[in-house]
Amino acid sequence: MNAIEIEHFSKSYKGSVAVDDISFAVPQGEFFGFLGPNGAGKTTTINCLTGITGPTSGVLKLFGHDVVDDYRAARAQVGLSAQEFNVDFWAPVGRLLWYVAGFYGIPEKKRSARIDELLTIFDLKSHAKKPFRTLSGGLKRRVMIARAMIHNPPLLILDEPTAGVDIELRHDLWKYLRRINEEGKTILLTSHYLEEVELLCNHIAIIFGGTIIAIGDKSEFIQGGHTLEQKYLQLTKNQHE
Amino acid sequence: MNNWIGLYTFIRREIERFLRVGVQTLLSPWINALLYIFIFGFVVGSRIAEIDGISYIQFVMPGLLMLNLITSSFSQTSFSLFYQRFAKHIEELLVSPLSYAEIVCGFVVGGIARGVAVSIGVYAIAILFGAARVEHIGIFALYSFGVAVVFSLIGLVVGLWSENFEQVSIFTTFVIMPFTFLGGVFNSVNMLPRTMQTVVRLNPFFYFVDGLRYSMVGLHEAPLAIGVSLMAVLTVVFGVLVWYLFKIGWKIKS
Repeated sequence: MNAIEIEHFSKSYKGSVAVDDISFAVPQGEFFGFLGPNGAGKTTTINCLTGITGPTSGVLKLFGHDVVDDYRAARAQVGLSAQEFNVDFWAPVGRLLWYVAGFYGIPEKKRSARIDELLTIFDLKSHAKKPFRTLSGGLKRRVMIARAMIHNPPLLILDEPTAGVDIELRHDLWKYLRRINEEGKTILLTSHYLEEVELLCNHIAIIFGGTIIAIGDKSEFIQGGHTLEQKYLQLTKNQHE
Repeated sequence: MNNWIGLYTFIRREIERFLRVGVQTLLSPWINALLYIFIFGFVVGSRIAEIDGISYIQFVMPGLLMLNLITSSFSQTSFSLFYQRFAKHIEELLVSPLSYAEIVCGFVVGGIARGVAVSIGVYAIAILFGAARVEHIGIFALYSFGVAVVFSLIGLVVGLWSENFEQVSIFTTFVIMPFTFLGGVFNSVNMLPRTMQTVVRLNPFFYFVDGLRYSMVGLHEAPLAIGVSLMAVLTVVFGVLVWYLFKIGWKIKS
């Protein structure tokens, strides 16, 4: 089964085309890298998949559920760690997770145990009562990922999850993401750290100017002794020309 | 609606949010009400003759209660929604499996909760001044609930429409305050010249104040059916409008 199915998806903002007729699928259990320069259409695609915005045309499905017509079922399948801190900055971390767990229908009795588990995993226990605004950038990023994981979704979308994160945490996070992927979770990752994508992902798509310019197995990108970064620069340079 | 846990959690978040800033959301309107009741009801009122057998302070009290109910339920939803748009954590709701009807319902119940909380405090102050009285509890509850729902929904429209904090407060300054004050809070409509009486009777706020006044002191100057019908029509119109605006993502989904 495909975790993500995108068919002829386009998105325009006030006449300007952000994503232009793209189609691809991400099979269940995949660790999928979604790359592209700033403004290429990565976040727009993610926003349409998760309900933050709606598509102009095309069909987007999560585990077979249409994100527009069957949006409740689709949204229950996915956890999003957004690029921006889209959080109530005044709410304490523990409370913030408590609310979101409730939105996903987790009963109060089970909620505390789940929050405790995530606070432990992301080393946030000592920060649970602190308002989000008082945390450092790295801690904020951890809270974002913990929030995305709160309902234990089968699909995790991480939009630049390691931006501004120190190297130790980045390594811890890689280890954790690898583990949950091995346990069956599908992960879609966007990142400007291409060594991170090369290390973690099995399949990769590159979006440029709103269209997919390359998609395939990681081995196809790094064959011939290339690093992913070299191949990426070559592909995007061709587009510029 | 079937995500009851989600809806309940959202309502709790809305209530906890206004309790977190209780000085601004509760204490401030209570102090304002105290000053209004003291000055207009007690000091000025002691020099004004009874209106239809009712002391001036008792005549004024329903209007002050209505003013606080309207402003607090409106402010709760308009500022909450605008702030969530401004800080982008409206996205927390948009990515969750809450339906649009549940999101609207959660905001509205938050608005009602704040309106009721403020009103309880104002009523307690009225007890201190001997101005608290409820003759018809059912009608009192109907008007309080109905008006809180209507202005919570209008607050959501303004919260969606506004582009900055100034625009959120424009409605309170230029619509709620003048229309309530001109809706018979401080005077009987019969005290006005005939042409002004006609103008006042075109003001929907007049029927809300009048209905609540009837429930509290048994005096009314217009048919109650008009006030009840207005609340019902406005609830349906703004309820459907707000649900539709959320569904199409007006100003929340770019």
